Amino acid sequence: MTDTAVRTPVTAVTRPDNDRWLTLGFAAPATVVLALLFVLPLALLLVASVAGPAGFSLAEYGRLTTPHYLGVIWNSLRLAVLTTGIAFAIGYPAAFALARARGVVRSALLATLFLPLAASVIVKAFAWTILLRSDGIVNTVLLALGLVDEPIRMIFTETALIVGAVNIFLPFMILPIYAVVAQLDHRLVDAAATLGASPAVAFVRVVVPLTLPGIIAGVALVFSLSVSAYVVPTLLIGERYPTLSTTIAKAFLLARQPAFGAAAGVVLLAITLAAVALSARLGRSGGSR
Amino acid sequence: MTARLAVAFAWLAAVVTVVFLMAPLATVVAASFSPSPVFDLPLDGVSLRWYERIGRLDGFWPALSLSLQIAVLSTAIALVIGTLAAIAIVRGRLPGAEALATALVSPLMMPGLVLGIALLQYFRAIGFTATWSALVLAHLIVTLPYVARTMIAGLALFDFTLVEAARTLGCTYAGAILRVMVPALAPSFLTAGLFSFLASFDNYPVSIFLTDVRTKTLPIKMLQYIEEAPDPTLAALSTLILAATVILLVASDRLIGLHRMAGTAE
Amino acid sequence: MSSPDGAPHVVIRSVSKRYGPLTVLDRVDLTVARGELVTLLGPSGCGKTTLLRLVAGLATPEEGAIAIAGRDVTRVPPHRRNVGVVFQSYALFPHLTVAGNVAFGLAVRGRPREEIDRAVARTLSLVRLEHLGSRRVSALSGGQQQRVALARALAVEPEVLLFDEALSALDRNLREDMQVELRRLLREIGATAIFVTHDQDEALTMSDRIAVMNGGRIEQLADPKTLYARPATLFTLGFVGQSTRVRGTVAAAADGVVTVDTPVGRLSAMGHFAAGSPVVVAARPEHLNVVADAAGHDGGDRARNRVDGRVRAVIFQGSRSRIEVEAGGETLLAELPGRGAADLRPGDDARLVWPVAETFVYPDPEARP
Repeated sequence: MTDTAVRTPVTAVTRPDNDRWLTLGFAAPATVVLALLFVLPLALLLVASVAGPAGFSLAEYGRLTTPHYLGVIWNSLRLAVLTTGIAFAIGYPAAFALARARGVVRSALLATLFLPLAASVIVKAFAWTILLRSDGIVNTVLLALGLVDEPIRMIFTETALIVGAVNIFLPFMILPIYAVVAQLDHRLVDAAATLGASPAVAFVRVVVPLTLPGIIAGVALVFSLSVSAYVVPTLLIGERYPTLSTTIAKAFLLARQPAFGAAAGVVLLAITLAAVALSARLGRSGGSR
Repeated sequence: MTARLAVAFAWLAAVVTVVFLMAPLATVVAASFSPSPVFDLPLDGVSLRWYERIGRLDGFWPALSLSLQIAVLSTAIALVIGTLAAIAIVRGRLPGAEALATALVSPLMMPGLVLGIALLQYFRAIGFTATWSALVLAHLIVTLPYVARTMIAGLALFDFTLVEAARTLGCTYAGAILRVMVPALAPSFLTAGLFSFLASFDNYPVSIFLTDVRTKTLPIKMLQYIEEAPDPTLAALSTLILAATVILLVASDRLIGLHRMAGTAE
Repeated sequence: MSSPDGAPHVVIRSVSKRYGPLTVLDRVDLTVARGELVTLLGPSGCGKTTLLRLVAGLATPEEGAIAIAGRDVTRVPPHRRNVGVVFQSYALFPHLTVAGNVAFGLAVRGRPREEIDRAVARTLSLVRLEHLGSRRVSALSGGQQQRVALARALAVEPEVLLFDEALSALDRNLREDMQVELRRLLREIGATAIFVTHDQDEALTMSDRIAVMNGGRIEQLADPKTLYARPATLFTLGFVGQSTRVRGTVAAAADGVVTVDTPVGRLSAMGHFAAGSPVVVAARPEHLNVVADAAGHDGGDRARNRVDGRVRAVIFQGSRSRIEVEAGGETLLAELPGRGAADLRPGDDARLVWPVAETFVYPDPEARP
């Protein structure tokens, strides 16, 4: 037996590198799905937005520059900026508390982030319609505390809209920041202190730059989510505050103006893409510093 | 002194966050037990009558069934093709691997509404009118990013030597994947599946453009109920959905731990 | 129990492996006898790990054949080769306990429960971990994980054990203990094993024979003593142990001894070169003796080389000292045991003396032909 093996003739065999084909095969299904159900439809949307009755036309985009629709775009941006700003103001310090927490407290805090995240947007928006009614809990509390003399109207106001949007998107601000803060090397802050930095200086010069990637990720995420929010404005403010999202939905579902809806959709897409691209760019330059 | 103030401020923010985030959830739960058709809080008594009415909501059962079917099916397909793609991206010498990874996750950053109208026009243009299939396909784009993101992160930490070790110990290639890679990646699969399922089950902005009069998903039905006749029945329904979500989360926490989900989810 | 009995057990015949344009292995031959411990030693990228993977079946050669225990396995997939591999990262299955890991190979083979339990108990006691069977592998120390990986590979009673840098993740003391223990254990069970390492100490300690690899080829295959005492190539000399070397030109050759003109003077070495050949003359530092008094008392001894120079540095290293001696613009290195260098100071005149029999000579790789 042994001898036959030793005498095994040298065989010259060339095999194709089938690893490569396996890899391509693995990537193929998702790539095809993405191409057929994502890239192609978006390309078609872009085409539809510039297709007039007689070929290429920017007329639908022209309609978006009328004062009314510029106001609509402004509404969307205003909602996004206010939501992102307030969510950051609450979320940034909260992420630090979350990173400092240990054991049961941390688990409880994480649960309070995940549960609302997992809960339906419609359920939460519906809850705010209950909370913010004139005879709702918020007014009851305000009255009991003597902060107001009579119930104030909140539902279907911009306040309701912002409160609801911040509430729904806040976890998306906290989680990316928490992910960075949790990995923050606290010895760096100590090192800054030994180099003579006061806590405030150490925070601004060391902690903020180090957590910048998380800040950028959180801000970009909340901005792009809130600028395109649909359920929240529909339930909490309605017709009084038209946004790009509600305009798009109306164009398709009620007004039967798909070309105009497509143009509005492309504008909304451009805004979110700009936010994402900007954050990616900032993230890269922040990382290389 | 400044440092202490900062810590106190951080904790204050955390407490505000907890109260703020929990408030709407607590509200729907409380309202669902309201004895009267208006949401008077605090409650003067407890009633389960609204829970009995859920089933009698117009078109509730078909909507629930449809949403479950679409969520389960799109999640299952996304898990398979997303995991395969993640393997190719992490493991293979795939040209353009990074671009593919970005592309797979990008629908997450895209307005759902825009995706919805794009798919609506696309399906119309190619004459594809089967509502149920259109919803499953559309939700594939909703769920795939969650799977891709979680599985790429999970696989990047996976030691592929484990598969080789299993092969030298007597496993075929497929056997090694099933006996070693799948169990070792179970936390990632679970996280990916959970997030995909919830994203699909809760999706409104994509579905709204693809449903017809007879075929409506649960979120669309719910928004319709709220706009037509908001009464505590909806709070009861929301409470049940919340309860199911809590059970899913607790089960996942038992199996893999929320802190790991926080790590891989973002 | 057994030492190598000479029967060929793993036979590698003219094996080549290419990745695209890159030739990783170039017609390598190697035969490992039953019960023999052979090490593939070389720098990273020399092809040693690829060769091990070919034996394990984790890669397939473009040319050549591999036989294990008399069976041609060149095209046999890894799961039907019956080899045991201990990986650098250990590759323990995180979802299984220690016992579950050790049982894995037998469970996959569908062996009965009792047989598996017995084999697990036996192999765990062999690596002295019998008390840890129910632990999760993540709860073990690095040394313990290494033993579990070994037990898992042993449990299937493989024809050959393959170790891929298996000890390199351990810290130094533990690694040295494991080297000795592992060698004893493998001898005891009569295992045939191939180690891959870049650590020369590990190779010298563990192996019956060492294959020094470079650029996809085996430079030299020899037992550790021969390898150290008679390095066949300049690469082997440099990779195994310390050396001191100087370049020169062959002045004369006779009876297997060449005389070489070098910047430090005329040196003799064992070798066959034509006069005029550019060469490198080398020696192990421990063979160089330092004589402080240059007034020659062995002036006419043709069996020794002599170089007169000046001490440049004396470096105390505990059990030995290194002395750098400058002569003719070159620096030669001597190594003296114990306190042999106690009376040497930098700047002292010194004479280096060493046997011609311990002087090597190689073709100069940098010389233009």
